[in-house]
Amino acid sequence: MLLRRGKPHLKLPEKEEEEELEMFQVAGRGPAVQRHEESSGPMTRFRRIGRGMGRLREVSDDDTTTTELEFELSCKVINLEALQQIACCGHLDGESRATVWKLLLGYLPAERDAWEGELANNRLRYAELKEELLVNPSEFLRKEDETFSVSKQGRIMGVDGLLSRQKVFNGDHPLSLGNDSIWYRYFKDAEIVGQIDRDLERTHPDIEFFSGDISQSKRNRGAMRNILLLFTKLNPAIGYVQGMNEVLAPLYYVLNTDPNEQNASNAEADSFFCFVRVMSDSVDHFCQQLDNSSVGIHSTLSRLSELLKGNDEELWRHLENLKVNPQFYAFRWITLLLTQEFEFHCIMRIWDCLLSNPLGVQEMLLRVCCAMLVCARHELLKGDFTSNLKLLQHYPEIDLDYLLDTAHHLTPIS
Amino acid sequence: MVLVLALGDLHIPHRAPDLPAKFKSMLVPGKIQHIICTGNLCIKEVHDYLKSLCPDLHVTRGEYDEDTRYPETKTLTIGQFKLGLCHGHQIIPWGDLDSLAMLQRQLDVDILVTGHTHQFKAYKHEGGVVINPGSATGAYSSITYDVNPSFVLMDIDSLRVVVYVYELIDGEVKVDKIDFKKTATANASQ
Repeated sequence: MLLRRGKPHLKLPEKEEEEELEMFQVAGRGPAVQRHEESSGPMTRFRRIGRGMGRLREVSDDDTTTTELEFELSCKVINLEALQQIACCGHLDGESRATVWKLLLGYLPAERDAWEGELANNRLRYAELKEELLVNPSEFLRKEDETFSVSKQGRIMGVDGLLSRQKVFNGDHPLSLGNDSIWYRYFKDAEIVGQIDRDLERTHPDIEFFSGDISQSKRNRGAMRNILLLFTKLNPAIGYVQGMNEVLAPLYYVLNTDPNEQNASNAEADSFFCFVRVMSDSVDHFCQQLDNSSVGIHSTLSRLSELLKGNDEELWRHLENLKVNPQFYAFRWITLLLTQEFEFHCIMRIWDCLLSNPLGVQEMLLRVCCAMLVCARHELLKGDFTSNLKLLQHYPEIDLDYLLDTAHHLTPIS
Repeated sequence: MVLVLALGDLHIPHRAPDLPAKFKSMLVPGKIQHIICTGNLCIKEVHDYLKSLCPDLHVTRGEYDEDTRYPETKTLTIGQFKLGLCHGHQIIPWGDLDSLAMLQRQLDVDILVTGHTHQFKAYKHEGGVVINPGSATGAYSSITYDVNPSFVLMDIDSLRVVVYVYELIDGEVKVDKIDFKKTATANASQ
């Protein structure tokens, strides 16, 4: 994980010794960033008050952030707002990222003591769901038979002679074409599984975690396949849409690389619930029927336009004149939460930022998209339709600090 | 969970024009992993049709088959089971349990699939299981005219086999099943 050093902007006046750490976090991050909806401004060097000691010292951002984070995570009741502020600059260290994301998504409750119970419950629920929905018909029928015919002797043939014929369970058989046949449903699901598998093969082909040939990668793909299939079966109205694998990928990666052994081994169950939470915001974007409605993708794209217009009218006008509509470039940005636009380690940081917005992921997403446009304004203003579209569809590398900073400072649409 | 289709004695086109429509509507590609055919297809078109259902097709030679290159017997291993395939007209007396048991020992298989009698049968004999899927088209045999079209679908799941028997009786498809297991240690079916 590349951590970028912030640019020193300004020095802060000395703080009172007795100021609590809590207070410090809000005030210490740069000058008067009084926007109530989000937190910090540009990265600054700032001073940290030793706990209970009057020493003031200057430290670099990363150190401060790490120790603040440790402090926050060690509290009995987690202060979500403080966590959000730490996360929004995208400076989480890899080790705590899993826990922080789980807290930000609301998967883990704020009370530390309740974590064990919650996690155990959810993991059990996941196992039950899997057993109910993902088992193949052979095993399912075998279990049914065993419960029904426990008393029947002689099922296990010890005696020579004609093998006795029995009724099939529920009139169901492998070649059945009825909708209520578990076999029929199993084979229908096989088509979806085929598509999910094809997409998983294509997820991040450069990262061995996802696309390698070793058993670990195969396990990862298997876990992701289970999660996506379960999600599809629980949400038949949306089904599986290509791209969901991309949204799942960073989530599963982070939860699987949790240094805590127990968490990492249960990453599948935890990722499932976190994935559901992430998707619940953006699920409307995947539903084609809702495209033109007020919650659909087109309405979101027009909100992006509005945001751009409010912040950089010149650029907006230029793009409008060239007819570079958001549909051409921002569709993928928004539906896939920017997972296709940046390098993997950058996606982590951007997601830190997205997940930490108290107003929700979508709001922050629009800001970051708009910031992407604003940061590239120099090239965009010079370019024509073709070159602009090319640039936006293959967004160039950019300093993430600058990007996130711009995003934070945009004027929201009223 | 491996699905294996066992059928035979179609005698197309000499004694029957085609599989019954109700059977054909059920047999779609993509569900079955292996097809084993006892023989007497008899023509290449039937072979191609079966190949379209599943690429892994095994056929043994029946006395009326036009393709002379099919082997007399065949063995294959699916999961934990060894299956043997033979048309059955070579085993005299036809359908005799002891003679078939001899063939089973010769081929050293757990499940022997034979045909020729055009009658569905499934029995356990001397440590092995013999399955006769009957005639999939209901073609008459030299023994009887009264033949119900039938075929067999085996669901092989590690040490357990569920045999689904499909029969066309009075125009309706009836499905039954037969369960048997094999012990892990002994080679014989339990």
